[in-house]
Amino acid sequence: MSGEMANEIKLISGRSHPELSDKIAKRLGVEVARTISLNYSNQETSFTVGESVRDEDVFIIQSTATGDVNEGLMELLIMISACRTASARRITAVIPNFPYARQDKKDKSRAPISARLVANMLQTAGANHIVTVDLHASQVSMGSTIQGFFSVPVDNLYAEPSFLRYIRENFKTEDCVIVSPDAGGAKRATSIADHLNTAFALIHKERPRPNVVGRMVLVGNVEDKIAILVDDMADTCGTLVKAAAVLKENGAKSVLALVTHGILSGNAIETLNGSVLSALVVTNTVPLGDKVERCPKLRVIDISPTIAEAIRRTHNGESVSYLFTHAPV
Amino acid sequence: MVRNIVVLGGNSHPKLVESVCSSLGLPPCNRLLGKFSSGESRCEIQDSVRGKDVYIIQTGFGGNGAKLNDHFMDLCIMISACKTGSARRVTAVLPLFPYSRQPDLPYTKAGAPLFKAPSENSRKDYTFDSVPATPAPGIPRSNGLINGGDITNKLLKTSLTNGSGPCSPAPDGKPNGEGYFNGNGTNGVNGAHADSGATKQASFTTHDYENLSIVNAFQARPGYKQWVAQAGTLVANLLTCAGADHVITMDLHDPQVQGFFDVPVDNLYGRPLLKQYIMQNIPNYKDAVMVSPDAGGAKRATAIADSMGIDFALIHKERRPTRITDRQNASMMLVGNVTDRVCILLDDIADTGNTITRAAKLLKKEGATKIYALLTHGVFSGDAISRIKASALDKVVVTNSVPQADHKALLGSKLEVLDIAPMFAEAIRRVHHGESISVLFNFD
Repeated sequence: MSGEMANEIKLISGRSHPELSDKIAKRLGVEVARTISLNYSNQETSFTVGESVRDEDVFIIQSTATGDVNEGLMELLIMISACRTASARRITAVIPNFPYARQDKKDKSRAPISARLVANMLQTAGANHIVTVDLHASQVSMGSTIQGFFSVPVDNLYAEPSFLRYIRENFKTEDCVIVSPDAGGAKRATSIADHLNTAFALIHKERPRPNVVGRMVLVGNVEDKIAILVDDMADTCGTLVKAAAVLKENGAKSVLALVTHGILSGNAIETLNGSVLSALVVTNTVPLGDKVERCPKLRVIDISPTIAEAIRRTHNGESVSYLFTHAPV
Repeated sequence: MVRNIVVLGGNSHPKLVESVCSSLGLPPCNRLLGKFSSGESRCEIQDSVRGKDVYIIQTGFGGNGAKLNDHFMDLCIMISACKTGSARRVTAVLPLFPYSRQPDLPYTKAGAPLFKAPSENSRKDYTFDSVPATPAPGIPRSNGLINGGDITNKLLKTSLTNGSGPCSPAPDGKPNGEGYFNGNGTNGVNGAHADSGATKQASFTTHDYENLSIVNAFQARPGYKQWVAQAGTLVANLLTCAGADHVITMDLHDPQVQGFFDVPVDNLYGRPLLKQYIMQNIPNYKDAVMVSPDAGGAKRATAIADSMGIDFALIHKERRPTRITDRQNASMMLVGNVTDRVCILLDDIADTGNTITRAAKLLKKEGATKIYALLTHGVFSGDAISRIKASALDKVVVTNSVPQADHKALLGSKLEVLDIAPMFAEAIRRVHHGESISVLFNFD
């Protein structure tokens, strides 16, 4: 982007994931705008703007760091609202890992639908457009309900093209079998299996009584194959590790997992290190910190080209749907 | 016993919730409020709220194992959960309203934007020909003159000599311009002056940053005046967007914040409690002087002073450069006479404690015999506790709008805590029954 053009892309980065912002900025050939977010000693968040955003196309990149979700969210809201009051032409919140995505239904009496609250808050603050990656959906075949909570456009990008490339580059596809760790994710797994033309299997969790996790049953054949578990997020990794053990028992040569959001909270790293999983492949939607050093099994796929391209296309008014099937190199 | 009312407490101030509930004679609503390991808030309301009048108590204070923003998000989630749980009305009770103070801009004493030691980059970019980075076709960004750095240098020197009235440097403020000022003895700028010039920012804002060196290293684009986002309106909008039908708060720093809301806001006053304290605990209070530590609080202080018939004085924070040679209080001016009198400093909030401790110092110097500080909200963040300990203040009186147990443990008998629970309980009872609450505003 040359400096002379009006209505440029203005990239603003929150504190949660500066590495991702830098990569996106580099890819787009723009500089990250001069702003700083800090906390006052009374813990209120302050956001200082050091350059004009008037009439610019503002993209605010804020993921949510594990453990600090609310801090990141408040910071994002303050950033959006600040740009709104500073007369930005359009404000796009780029939230690779949408916070509270799992709390998208009233599953109990008086349970909060926090994902809807977050959607309302983002719009109240002044976001005109949302870009996110692999929005959580409890039933993948139904799509994500969260998009419906918004009355502004939500571009939900997929990590699938990046995963497909990773599998093609690292394995012989005929040796692989794609496995969904639960029935809800079957659609996600079959889609990858279809693209690669490989076999597919599914793990079914038997629930003999409510609140009692029964045994896991494998549906399909993984014998002497490389079993690839596919899911949208890995939090404490309990289910993933149990599923890997089941696959190993059923004769899989090796088991690895491909997961979009590596939240990896609690004892996830220890759980992974002690598991039969040979590798956990995540994208860098969530800041991983020192987890890569602590877990030799963790591999990271860079998602920034996809996000950068989505930003470029959004800014230029081009279609984004190309990215649903292709990962930019 | 009040019917059809549910009092729900956040995690920020459990003691207040407890005492409000016992004043109202009902148990607090059972709820589960915590965090998932991923960091997302987890909230389950275990008692029915259908058709009930719900009051959610959460103060704007970081502590009790969570940060301020966590408490605020918890509040929004609780409001939203009650709303989707068919509560008839949800009232957010925020004894201390978060983000209610508009942060001061990092201004220098001379009122000009803070100059920073120019980095290699801006030396190249910034010249007298620089234009603001407003995007417009055909307008090139400045390329910089060869001697641009010298001009910036000169500008900096001038602004320093103008604003030579120094002030107490921040305890941990690292002068970032140190290397820049070294060997710069011309123009009458000595080392000490340069030092205080670099740390000015900390002494003149009411907010302390957790990491001042980052702030000092930050540079706006050449030609653009940096500004700090104001979150007050946003917080108001977020509360209404979550579903709050009514807000009860106390001693808003800016009463204008009430105007940010589309729903009713009841702003209670801490004055009756403070006035009662004066009458009961300060001997010969009729001879004392009520002092406002800044011009903004003058109205608040005169209101009490007038109603009690006592004298009034004002401390004026001078932001213009002055030539007074006395280092410590050059920037503060006392209007009124306090010699050999007992002084009562009155302010709505003490955050970093800067304002009141500096004011106390000035009052002591002017001959005050004893100094009380009466505050509604004692946030005491950053170095406030050690500042107050070392200050000339004889007694600090606060309300428990934020938890004071930790402060009390550190300050001991210097701190006096007044209980606001009865007042909030009464306000909740009156709002619930649709009675007027203006009687709570009277402090006679």
